[in-house]
Amino acid sequence: MTTFVFRNQTVEAFLGYDGMTYSGYADISQVPADVDRYIWFYQVPVNPDSAQLAQEIDSYRDQLEIVLGQADNTKPFIIFSLVDLFNLRLTGDDTAVADAISAFNDHTSRLADSMPQVKWVDFSEFTSAYNAETLVNWKYYLMSQTLLNPKLSHDFQAWWKRIENQLLLRRKKCLVLDLDNTLWGGILGEDGVDGIQLGGDYPGKAYSLWQHALLQLSHNGVILALCSKNNESDVDEVWQHNPNMVLKREHFGALRINWQDKATNMRELSEDLNIGLDSMVFVDDNPAERELIKQMLPEVEVPDFPSKPYELMPFFKGLMEKYFRIHTITREDKAKTEQYQANAKRRAEQSRFADLESYLYSLDMQLDVIPADEHNMARIAQMTQKTNQFNLTTRRYSESELRQFIDQGWRIYCVSVSDRFGDSGITGAIIMQPVDDITLNIDSLLLSCRILGKGIEDAFVKTVLNLMRLDGYRKLTADYLPTAKNGQTADFYDRIGMTSDAASSDGAKHYTMALEGVFDINNCYNIRVL
Amino acid sequence: MSLEEKVLDIMRETFEVDNVSADISQKNCERWDSLRHLTLASELEDAFDIELEPEEIAEMTDFSRVIAMLQSKL
Repeated sequence: MTTFVFRNQTVEAFLGYDGMTYSGYADISQVPADVDRYIWFYQVPVNPDSAQLAQEIDSYRDQLEIVLGQADNTKPFIIFSLVDLFNLRLTGDDTAVADAISAFNDHTSRLADSMPQVKWVDFSEFTSAYNAETLVNWKYYLMSQTLLNPKLSHDFQAWWKRIENQLLLRRKKCLVLDLDNTLWGGILGEDGVDGIQLGGDYPGKAYSLWQHALLQLSHNGVILALCSKNNESDVDEVWQHNPNMVLKREHFGALRINWQDKATNMRELSEDLNIGLDSMVFVDDNPAERELIKQMLPEVEVPDFPSKPYELMPFFKGLMEKYFRIHTITREDKAKTEQYQANAKRRAEQSRFADLESYLYSLDMQLDVIPADEHNMARIAQMTQKTNQFNLTTRRYSESELRQFIDQGWRIYCVSVSDRFGDSGITGAIIMQPVDDITLNIDSLLLSCRILGKGIEDAFVKTVLNLMRLDGYRKLTADYLPTAKNGQTADFYDRIGMTSDAASSDGAKHYTMALEGVFDINNCYNIRVL
Repeated sequence: MSLEEKVLDIMRETFEVDNVSADISQKNCERWDSLRHLTLASELEDAFDIELEPEEIAEMTDFSRVIAMLQSKL
């Protein structure tokens, strides 16, 4: 990956040399197009004349505007916020520099709302961990034009790596929590519903704050689950009678409250929620339980748990930064816990119907097949990054790569699914590359595991292929590339009638098919093509 | 680990090169540019818990001068 960095100080020691090209100091005359991404990393310069300095900072907005106008808008553009590393105020009420900095930061953070390629990085998140003396090293500044202390370069690189992971959406999906001495203080079986520490004064206060924080995490698309050795009826009593229990039953996507070993419970939770163990984080105060999970299920992340209740908030912050934060949350993410619950309800309904067909009819499924556009591109990219199980080729793409495909004439569709239990949002995508006038290759096909088991994949693909036939395509090619997780899709193309060459030794299959007739689609779906 | 070995290690890491020998100097190593020179100084200060003055940093232009400078500090 190649990166072009706009900068006004020497930041090479922090962002590194490999693959990086740096502008001249505050030099915007060159805006190359042949790079994979841009970074804007300016520092507040040193200038004792605060009025002049404020003006200089104001000019950065204009500079940035010009650069954004010239940069390739299909490439990510990462903007660092400004931080006053050396706050030199001759009078206490001189806020000119501070005002200019906040104006720049306000302006740039809002740019990210209107320009999808812009990602805003709050640099103060890094600097706030250090005091003023550590942040600035005057010796090195005067030798090399870098106010930020070069001794922080290793810390900076670790932090920056985390931010880059967030930008690439590499995050966990599910947080599995214990109850006793984890979500509340004390042991329910011994202390009773009113004896556990929750709400009120310390230490109960610490647990309710931690629960409030976890609730926000679930609103932002992280699935919470419970895994606790308790009697479920006792826990129900907490939910019914303890008003300080912030996290209610409905906030958890799935739960295992029993006396079974936790490794088995974790495996069952992963099946229940239809997500891999490597997407799960296990939080438990008991070191023996943590060790068990580490030994038995090495894919699961198992952070150490704080020994004091007052350490829960920094622990939460660490969890969030390490496993769960991303830069743009999509609407689908926010509704996720509700969707997982609706799934559980659907499963309960399923057992009432004699055959699958009549069950599917009863769901009133609505499928909207939508061509990729600015409104759904982020979601499609996110799905290519996160979908593992129903994913025929497991190719990971960024938003800008998808935009380039579209520019090259590729056909990309996604599907939004709802039924009488709720709206699952955009949960599937197909990416197709024209090979010649009549031949189309399915580069990627994926569906979120949340909607599997209802034949939606079948209806979606057949709808799109019928469309492609109308557009004049007569021949189709496709691949199945096996991974550790996508075994369930190994025969998908066979099922819809494609024929494969002999599978290669690693199980990969190449398919071809003539697009001649119209595919029949089960009429239990209401399908709209938008 | 001897002082020399430790310094060679730091240089390998700072200059991001596989092979560094005792005859390395700013003249014969392209990666040892003025920017990485300061990174080297900063890394040496941390590794040996010393302070180097700007004038001293400017003098450390090859491996033997770096060693001599460190020996005078330790």
